[in-house]
Amino acid sequence: MIAKRIQPMAFQARRLYVELMFQVMGRALQAVSEVDATVQKDASALPEGFLFEMMVMPQGSSLIVEHVGNGRFHYHGNSAPRPVDLSIQFKHIAHAFLVLSFQEKTSVAFANDRMLVDGDISYAIRMTRVLNRLESFILPKLVAKRAVKEYPANLHLPEKLMSAARIYLKVASNFVETVRA
Amino acid sequence: MSNKYYEFFCPVKVIAGKAALEHIPYELSGMAATRPMIVTDKGVRAAGLLDPVIAACEESGLEIVSIYDDVPPDSSTAVVRDIAGVYRSEKCDSIIAVGGGSAIDTAKAVNILVSEGGDDIAAYAGAGVLKRPLKPFFVVPTTAGTGSEVTAVAVIADTEKHVKLPFTSSFLLPNAAIIDPRMTLTLPPHITAATAMDAMTHATEAFTCMAKNPLSDAYATAAIKKISNSLLAVMDNPKDADNRLELAEASTMAGIAFSNSMVGLVHALGHATGAICQLPHGLCMSLYLPYVLEYNIESIREPLGELLLYLDGPEVYAATPASRRAEASISAIRRMRDALYKHCKLPRTLKETGKVVEEQLERIAEVALDDGAIMFNPKEVTLEDAKAVLRRAWA
Ligand SMILES: [Fe+2]
Repeated sequence: MIAKRIQPMAFQARRLYVELMFQVMGRALQAVSEVDATVQKDASALPEGFLFEMMVMPQGSSLIVEHVGNGRFHYHGNSAPRPVDLSIQFKHIAHAFLVLSFQEKTSVAFANDRMLVDGDISYAIRMTRVLNRLESFILPKLVAKRAVKEYPANLHLPEKLMSAARIYLKVASNFVETVRA
Repeated sequence: MSNKYYEFFCPVKVIAGKAALEHIPYELSGMAATRPMIVTDKGVRAAGLLDPVIAACEESGLEIVSIYDDVPPDSSTAVVRDIAGVYRSEKCDSIIAVGGGSAIDTAKAVNILVSEGGDDIAAYAGAGVLKRPLKPFFVVPTTAGTGSEVTAVAVIADTEKHVKLPFTSSFLLPNAAIIDPRMTLTLPPHITAATAMDAMTHATEAFTCMAKNPLSDAYATAAIKKISNSLLAVMDNPKDADNRLELAEASTMAGIAFSNSMVGLVHALGHATGAICQLPHGLCMSLYLPYVLEYNIESIREPLGELLLYLDGPEVYAATPASRRAEASISAIRRMRDALYKHCKLPRTLKETGKVVEEQLERIAEVALDDGAIMFNPKEVTLEDAKAVLRRAWA
């Protein structure tokens, strides 16, 4: 517990940030899946009732969405109604923070062994694509370029749709500043 | 602070070179194993490749208790269950896999069942299910390409449920890989060429994809150098044991590289093509490699350019301006493919295979997009991108 004495505030802030970002992403996933054809196309190949989880090991924060059919997601908060079908697990909160604060791209995090996939790899690939698409929606272009491998050329969503998520993000980035300092 | 991070792991003892097979008895005794079972396929047996393995053991007073030689090219859960049954009834205590990818994967799965118990291999599918070491396990590769002797993965088909079960655990790795030039000496030219190009692709993708790291880079470049220097020599003179050994070593080194840094779009397209058009894996690798490198080029200019040193040697490398090296590397790979086409008609385009129709490209692209390997490709791939690469690879 030595570490705790050194930086208690930073750890607390990081934990809160990850929790908050999971909430932002969960809501945004549902919102985007209701309007964006690209996300719907990728998601529609998932079975109906498919439960996707992103979580921090060992039993930290989590985000759970369900594919309710036709490429639409429903956000379940942090508790699943039944065992999940696909789980992406960050090995440590520090790794979740790197990804969720857009310092490390999702694909790079996979390449760096930051997280484990429990479930069908091809579904994990689909969900990564959906998450990339989502990130390019809710992030300003400059940050999104860092977060996803390539910034999609075909984003045509009404600006205001994602503005709510962006407000969340502003709050969130204050956390980043706090933690980085 | 840099965001760089990597992991590298390879605990497999490599036993390579002249009279390597004769080390098997000593290695087994070092693990207190006295009743080994050989897992292999009919082709290996027919080619007489088991004889030196058995002779090496018997000469040392080590009896091979059982030989299962009926592993099919696409192994299944039923085969794994059968072999585990034989292992148990013969009271074996260790496994020696002799063969290519299928025999090795099957033996890995058998080792799970005989170590952990039960008859249902599906129960152990997935990542990280195994928590402790398995029985003593040795691999003698008979092709120089797959690198399965150093990968922590096995894929077994569940024929009843029509799914492919993946198994991932570092405990699947053999205790030792025995690389003996006698094992690949009789490999027919087109298989030699295709499997060597598989190894070439493992090394090239390991060196240019997202999870590259300094340790896997060292293995990848050394493998590319060996293949570039030895492949055509072996094609000219198949009985050249020295260059055969070079290829076998390169295959293992490329295997170590890609199992630690993953592969990319060439493998994603190759897996899809293999599944849809039943083309051999190595052939698909050779076919797609230059087209994918051309697609990725702006994301991998630097590492790809560096490979010119290993593909074409120091003179060419030094004479080529840095800005042209990436293209020169692709040309070197194309030249190698042209030479292989001359030697054994190894196809360079989908059309040349004679087994793919243009209407299948759409489906290949779709399946490739769901393949795990695509995650580590340095450039994001959309369905349109994949189709464009396939169209270029068509003819
Ligand atoms: Fe391969």
